[in-house]
Amino acid sequence: MKKLLILGFLFSLVSAQHLSQNWSEGTAYVLPQGRWEVGLFQPLKFGYSPSTEITVHPLVMFIMPNASIKHVWRRQSNATWSSVHSAYYPTPLLNMVAKEGTGGLVSPEFEFPAAILLYNEVRVSRPINDKVLMTGKTGLGLGKAFGDLDERTTIDFPLIYQRLSPLYNGAYLRIGADFVISIAKKWELHLDDDLFLMANKDATIGFEHKGLLVWKKSDRFRATVGYKVVFGQYPFGNQWNLMPPFIPLLPIWVPLFDFQWGW
Amino acid sequence: MKNNYIITFLSLTLFISCDPIVNEFPDSEEAIFYTADNINSVPAVDTITVMTWNIRFGAARSHWFGDACGDRVILPESEVTANLLAVADYLASVDPDILFLQEIDVESKRTGYVDQVQWLLDNTNFNYGAYASAWQSQFIPSDGLGRMNMGNAVLSKWEITDATRHQLSLRGDQDALTQLFYLRRNILETKIDMDGTTFYAVNTHATAFATDDTKQKHIQEFKDVLDRIEGEGVSFIAGGDLNSLPVGSDSIDYCLEDICSDETFHPEGYDLNVFDTGDNPSHKEGSWFAGDDFEVLRILYETYSPAVDTVLYQANEAQYFTHTPEYDNLDGFNRKLDYLWTNENWVTGSDITHWDAAALSDHLPVSARWEVGQ
Repeated sequence: MKKLLILGFLFSLVSAQHLSQNWSEGTAYVLPQGRWEVGLFQPLKFGYSPSTEITVHPLVMFIMPNASIKHVWRRQSNATWSSVHSAYYPTPLLNMVAKEGTGGLVSPEFEFPAAILLYNEVRVSRPINDKVLMTGKTGLGLGKAFGDLDERTTIDFPLIYQRLSPLYNGAYLRIGADFVISIAKKWELHLDDDLFLMANKDATIGFEHKGLLVWKKSDRFRATVGYKVVFGQYPFGNQWNLMPPFIPLLPIWVPLFDFQWGW
Repeated sequence: MKNNYIITFLSLTLFISCDPIVNEFPDSEEAIFYTADNINSVPAVDTITVMTWNIRFGAARSHWFGDACGDRVILPESEVTANLLAVADYLASVDPDILFLQEIDVESKRTGYVDQVQWLLDNTNFNYGAYASAWQSQFIPSDGLGRMNMGNAVLSKWEITDATRHQLSLRGDQDALTQLFYLRRNILETKIDMDGTTFYAVNTHATAFATDDTKQKHIQEFKDVLDRIEGEGVSFIAGGDLNSLPVGSDSIDYCLEDICSDETFHPEGYDLNVFDTGDNPSHKEGSWFAGDDFEVLRILYETYSPAVDTVLYQANEAQYFTHTPEYDNLDGFNRKLDYLWTNENWVTGSDITHWDAAALSDHLPVSARWEVGQ
């Protein structure tokens, strides 16, 4: 009996580790209850309960109200299941970039109606061995514009085009996998691959691959550096992009980077 | 072993060829070749009709924001193809043999991503084309322009055997960020084989809005290419939108004719010959042809044969005007900016400034019959 209690206690510890985890991005895990995380470019996250995490992008909250919730539904000995549900109201931001002059991503001759973007995803994280954690994910993006939305307002640029496509065509399916690979005591490699299947007339496929090298100084700070490769079908045809793109005004290519803090 | 696979995959993805956000061009490179869907063999002839036309990317007389005091930026594809159809119909009525096109889009959001070079080849009597981009960016983050690929093209009934894009000088009066996303104008030099008779066809579109000496550089660079061909002892026809006035023009300042409702120029005590830039510029960019730009074309008139010489032009300027800033007035053409040149001979009196195409662009096409050189 005593052995069973000890085994049960140990199992609960293992399960708890698979339920919540610092730096939970890209996994089915949620932040430990009460923990906050934020990055230069990453959203603000909060461990609301042992099984629920809340995320918002505070810097754009007033121009694109947004919220996301991740909830762990099921724990198994070798897998954790969760779902992510996000909602965005992009209309103010889109109307902000529909402007004359520099920064005008959309022609000012157009006005965006009220519109909403929803994203729902199922994730399952499973340790492959003691160094590799794999997360599989499948999501459905939905969009609805409550008024006339001219097709000429699409922003035909990688990352943006795919995510806004439901506003014009209703929905996209997103399938992907994330790998967190421990390569040293404080170093990890994060690989993230996502396939977008959009309900567009001709531009239907998008693919994104992200690679990040992560240095975890502690549970309070980590730094990431990496890249993203994007393949997309757009209204003009197919295109590969390395992100961030090389800016000719800069002497070298600047990679993706971020600094993140947790407490 | 698994890590090796991962590293290999990462390396491969990093080396995938990705186009730059903004295309910068070398000084000289091969242009892009096109062929029509259906090739119709055309026999060699002694004289051919040469035409130059700035078709304004198929926008016709639309109130586009960039040049017409307008507010339109992204045109519907249906409007663009309707305008192109009108251009094709007009070309069919004139039936030129060689066509110099400026401001032609091949993959631009503003014109519904229609490849206008291919479209015109497939809907006219031309068989071959060459294209050189003057403005190529995956995304211009200004005014909602988005993806842009606009340039010059040469269309020909006979095969284009060589095509070279020569980079023109960049404007020197822009900050680095503006210049990065701005036009990179060019000279498109093509070599045409008419059943064994070879000649060059050279097309360019010089700067319109520079306030420094860029226009002089462009005209000189255009002449340098023509001089090189002349030095080879080969015949050429050349032309384009030179954004410059003929020698001896009555008026050299169109600031007030081109002014938009929210603009002011010619402040108290302004100097006609000095472009005072700044918050309150004395002149409008693209509307002022004085200062160092005055008679910038003299070097061409003095060296090569224009389709319209200065005597003819000065005798009746208005007959030869090719550009209008008035987008609601089909009779509003008030300056000549478009030219044809050769180192051989034009058929006397064969030049036409096509006023009946006034509704199709803010430039009129100009054509002339050329005695094919050897």
